Amino acid sequence: MRKHDAFSRRGVLKGSLAFGAGLSAPQVMVRSARGQNAKRLVFISEESSPKAQAAYERINADFKRDTGISVTMEYPGFTNIAKRVATLIAAGTPADLVWYGAGTALEVAVQGQLANVDDVVEEVNAPQNLRLVVNGHNRSIPTSQQFVYAWYRSDLYEKAGLKPYTDWESYLSAVRALNKPPQQYGNLIPSTALGASHLLMFTMLQKNDAHWFRFDPAKKEYEVALDQGENLARAVETLDFLHEAHASSPEASNYNWAELMSEYSTGKLANSYYVGARLLEQVQTNNPELAPVTKAIALPTRKTDSYYISVQGFHIGEKSNVDGAKNYVRFFLKHPAYIDWLHSVPLHIIPAKRETLRSEAYLKNETIQKRMDVLEFLESVWGKGTPPYYWDGPELNPLYGLYTNDSLGGWMLAERNIRKRGSREIVQQAAETIRKKKADLARRRG
Amino acid sequence: MASENRLARAAWVGTALAPALTLLVVTAYIPIVFALTLSLYYRTAFNPRLVWAGLDNFAWLIAQDALWAALWRSLVFTIGSVSLQIVVGLFFGLLLNEAIKGRAMMRSLVILPYLLPTIVIGLVFRWIMNPQYGVVNQILLDLGLVSQPINFFGGLKEAMPSVIVATAWQYGSFAALLIFARLQAINPRLYEAARTCGAGPWRSFLDVTLPNLRTTLLLIALLRGIWMFNKFDLIWIITAGGPLEATETLPVYVYKIAFQDFDFGRATAACVVMFLILLAASFAYFRFFNPTKEVEVGR
Repeated sequence: MRKHDAFSRRGVLKGSLAFGAGLSAPQVMVRSARGQNAKRLVFISEESSPKAQAAYERINADFKRDTGISVTMEYPGFTNIAKRVATLIAAGTPADLVWYGAGTALEVAVQGQLANVDDVVEEVNAPQNLRLVVNGHNRSIPTSQQFVYAWYRSDLYEKAGLKPYTDWESYLSAVRALNKPPQQYGNLIPSTALGASHLLMFTMLQKNDAHWFRFDPAKKEYEVALDQGENLARAVETLDFLHEAHASSPEASNYNWAELMSEYSTGKLANSYYVGARLLEQVQTNNPELAPVTKAIALPTRKTDSYYISVQGFHIGEKSNVDGAKNYVRFFLKHPAYIDWLHSVPLHIIPAKRETLRSEAYLKNETIQKRMDVLEFLESVWGKGTPPYYWDGPELNPLYGLYTNDSLGGWMLAERNIRKRGSREIVQQAAETIRKKKADLARRRG
Repeated sequence: MASENRLARAAWVGTALAPALTLLVVTAYIPIVFALTLSLYYRTAFNPRLVWAGLDNFAWLIAQDALWAALWRSLVFTIGSVSLQIVVGLFFGLLLNEAIKGRAMMRSLVILPYLLPTIVIGLVFRWIMNPQYGVVNQILLDLGLVSQPINFFGGLKEAMPSVIVATAWQYGSFAALLIFARLQAINPRLYEAARTCGAGPWRSFLDVTLPNLRTTLLLIALLRGIWMFNKFDLIWIITAGGPLEATETLPVYVYKIAFQDFDFGRATAACVVMFLILLAASFAYFRFFNPTKEVEVGR
């Protein structure tokens, strides 16, 4: 027998060492958090428009002058910020401060990676409905919010002798009357498993008072309820309604947010839904003639006036320079450039507090002055919306990510409008998907 | 004296190889070991804590219908894309090999798609093939070839072929360059001999050109096959795997596990599965085609 064919003691030892080193590699390579650096803050911001960046620069320069703490900014963009935050945590070097959606931050908070910010939230007197309370403590300092609503072409409505819609019936009548393909379509119903489609489905479920989950007060936990009782009937009805509206919608490549804005600003659509006023800003930039006839309107109601609120705020890493980050947030909210920052996309980044919305400083903006009708619209729907993680019950739903991360609402729309499956079957499959994910999560958490 | 020489030689070889080996270890082997071992742990993106999972991530993965569907789509995409790249490469390679006017400029034009950043190609393709305002649909409608715009990237049946065409457009030039280089090296006497024997252009192509290109075509199939199997960027930019998973290949599926479910343990397990598939395909390639022998014959 040749020597290398046999199991030698040295060979076994070498093999065991290599195997052991391999298994321990992740433990060695995944460092623990880098800890505090009292003189530096790493700040990741979702908002990255040039005007917002200029406001950050002013605030950061003043903050360094006053405290000696330098702020390093990162702008990964709306679609990538959750990934950036995740990879930094995974690498053991989490950011000190992140400004983005509280819904996106929820999962980070549930995993115990966000600091308790009760003190700052109380100091700034943040509105109750915008707070993110996880494990008994605030984990988000709300600065602003975006409402889900819609935009319509008032000129086309007037020409057709139509009044703006209010409910589902009048909505369908309007979009059918204004649908003249291929030059003009009644509306756009994005139908793919991406955020734009998911948020539309979510908001329309809210309008029809349909719920994904049911809160069990005895167990103090959430159970999947989308396919049960009235929820099933309402979810099916919602899907069928959006399917009918889709008959007056153009097809698009991937229905992302940019496509929604492009379709509207090229004059192809009579109606489009959006989150906030960025759509209006794009119309003003790319097709100014359409801007004056682009009006804000609430999405049509069925059983409720509710809509999806996207809350944005500051989030501080649990193992970061917590004190420095809290001081920065206090400094930021008191700085005069905070208003410029809110104006970076006028009427899109809506202040968290109503008194800020009504303040002289906020109103002193050319776009806002020109479009007081939008401001009045925002005032008219103020307080009627609900953040998605509070939609299904009185307590924060920590399982919200189970159907949001993969945009399940968008998937439902795609199955109905693109693959043309039946609504009931889709709703039942969606509920089963969430149940499976919930069970998998519970099994893995032991 | 001899042992001193051996030592000096070993030191010299070690010093010369050290930078390359260090780079290889740091950029390739450590990440591979890291991924291999991470696949054996429960590891979510938002929590640095590692929990031993054994083979549970693999068991979960194998039970997912989505994995097998993505694997099938990867095979369709890889075979479709590589075949089309070879056809495009062959066409332009043969064209460039002809003594035609403006050949130098054509060479530059042929390489252009390969030099463009993928993001540019993705956005341009999305723009020109848009069902509402894309120029391709406008031309088709104006010519009366279609009555309704085609939803190239948003249609369930159309998306995969459209993504294959976009990829072939970008990478066909790579094949064209390799084929052109090989065509230049074919001995002209072989064509003269073929003509003497009464062979026309088509017979010469079949009996002289193709046998001489065999090694190059196999090399393109291997390299582009591996690259296409791992292709992520262009698919993600154009369709993000949609509509309804119609273009969700394995890399897109892995990305979704990592950055939609934020599950790094399962994502690395899926990476390991991809790695093993490619390893098996490479073994099969070397076993059946024996490229070393092919190159020797090619000489």
